[in-house]
Amino acid sequence: MLTKRQNLMETIKGGQPDRFVNQYEFLELIREAPKEAFMTPMGTEVKNAWGITIRWPEGQIGSFPVHEKGYKVLDDITEWREYVKAPSVNYPAERWTEAIAHARAVDRDEKFVTAFITPGIFELTHYLMGMEDALMSYYEEPEAMHELIEYLTDYELAYAKQIIENLHPDALFHHDDWGSQISSFMSPETFKEFILPAYKKIYGFYKDNGVELIVHHSDSYGVNLVPFMIEMGIDIWQGVMNTNNIPELIKEYGGQISFMGGLHSGEIDFPDWTPEIVMEHVERACKECGKLYFIPNLSQGAPISSFPGVYEATSEAIDKMSAELF
Amino acid sequence: MSKIEEVKGLVETGKSKKIAAAVSEALDAGDKAQDILEAMIASMGVVGDKFSAGEIFVPEMLIAAKAMSKGVEVLKPVMAGDGSSSLGTCIMGTVAGDLHDIGKNLVVMMLESAGFDMVDLGVDVPAEKFVEAVKENNKVVLVACSGLLTTTMPALKEAVQTIKAAYPEMKVIVGGAPVTPEYADEIGADGYAPDAGSAAVKAKELVTA
Ligand code: B12
Repeated sequence: MLTKRQNLMETIKGGQPDRFVNQYEFLELIREAPKEAFMTPMGTEVKNAWGITIRWPEGQIGSFPVHEKGYKVLDDITEWREYVKAPSVNYPAERWTEAIAHARAVDRDEKFVTAFITPGIFELTHYLMGMEDALMSYYEEPEAMHELIEYLTDYELAYAKQIIENLHPDALFHHDDWGSQISSFMSPETFKEFILPAYKKIYGFYKDNGVELIVHHSDSYGVNLVPFMIEMGIDIWQGVMNTNNIPELIKEYGGQISFMGGLHSGEIDFPDWTPEIVMEHVERACKECGKLYFIPNLSQGAPISSFPGVYEATSEAIDKMSAELF
Repeated sequence: MSKIEEVKGLVETGKSKKIAAAVSEALDAGDKAQDILEAMIASMGVVGDKFSAGEIFVPEMLIAAKAMSKGVEVLKPVMAGDGSSSLGTCIMGTVAGDLHDIGKNLVVMMLESAGFDMVDLGVDVPAEKFVEAVKENNKVVLVACSGLLTTTMPALKEAVQTIKAAYPEMKVIVGGAPVTPEYADEIGADGYAPDAGSAAVKAKELVTA
């Protein structure tokens, strides 16, 4: 039997996997690495070093950036230099201890030691300004937006250097949600102009420094962005939703990029879920998409589900499909 | 090109810095405020259709809506008290337990552009608050509820049913990523739309039917 890591490589290289890659099994996420807070425990509020306020109100399922009056870091993109100050990436050595120990404990033949980065560059622009202002700024103030993105990219590269020196990761799992379930947030032209160059630098830097595998999370539609994903060096697009016609994507781009997802929270991770419903969707996804360039997975950006048991039921269903189809 | 045509072009291309002047010029040239408003509404209809068809994207829609509202600001004093173009009031919010608002905000803009007076209740809106808002506002003809989380689909159902229990005749439209036409039907909503462009079309259809 292949190790999880070998089986993943066979799947994305068009080789001979001996089973489906089961969701996130090949990634060992090192989440202890020091970083700025973009989450906060339920019932609390935190202002991180960017000045972004994150709040998790009681009764909600997660945290959210606050953009009410008086809370936005940046009200006018043309004044970004005055208001956006990147945090230092030089964390004291003791803050790395836990992450380093975690990375050391991983059997790298079995799994990829994986750095986990969130939010991404686009997300940072809307965390700083609110989504509407951010999106409009790409169109209305392109010059200032270019400058801001360059600044955010330099920050990411500086942080990447720390990650590489401390963890020597084999893989990178990087979030940046680029769309809704039926469209990309930006037009392909805008994406190409602003986002592509930033990620060519960031992902290029990781690859030049020993990172073998780039997994990018965008749980959205994104067919129109796939050529750019390939160009920026993404090996696996995680979060790919069915609205993308995944079998078609595999036919067209398999070998250049692989697709991880195909199982919608709306369809299987909802209050009335049952193992049978999960099985039905896993079976459909596995049969439609096939054994190569595809990893069946819930589209969420972490190995979790919204309803307890759904993630595990999905993994079991995938094992069943492996037994049946391999 | 007539001044009205120019205004339409500025809405469709989202030129919010130029539109106030163009609307003033159109008024000076003798165009009626009502006609200018209708032209802008028609332009937003075009924008909505292009968005539904995937030809344009969220930012283009946002800048078009921003341009329209800058244009409307110029018309407002001229048209004060003249509610003739209004389709009525629409109450909208994201349901309890959910803080996502980008989709809701787009729908608010499109419905506003289509001629509804919008009352935006924001996010995390409990079912009773929709009912109170119907009570407190004039000429409410439609309630629109948004939900982006599978965990809050029960809250969507509760919202629809609470509104219907208090106001059986009230039209309710729902939407959001996990919502399907079947689910909308099942929870007793009158309408569903997959995106903000078609939301405006559907909403008009519901209140003029
Ligand atoms: C952007 C985003 C965020 C932003 C939201 C910023 C904001 N101000 O809204 C941030 C990063 C803050 C965020 C936070 C969270 N999110 Co979120 N988010 C998304 C994402 C990527 C896109 C949603 C979006 O804005 N789309 C763009 C708009 C334009 O599209 P739309 O919302 O679908 O709206 C359109 C239509 O649906 C329709 N429509 C919408 N409403 C209505 C209403 C009516 C009446 C009509 C007719 C039509 C209509 O018209 C709109 C315009 O065309 C989705 C993934 C996805 N693919 O949808 C996840 C997603 C919705 N989020 C998710 C989650 C889990 C969260 C968090 C819990 C994360 C966390 N752990 O902290 C928190 C939620 C906290 C809370 N209590 O709500 C999950 C939900 C999973 C589930 N079980 O359903 C999703 C599906 C991602 C995922 N698979 O993991 N999120």
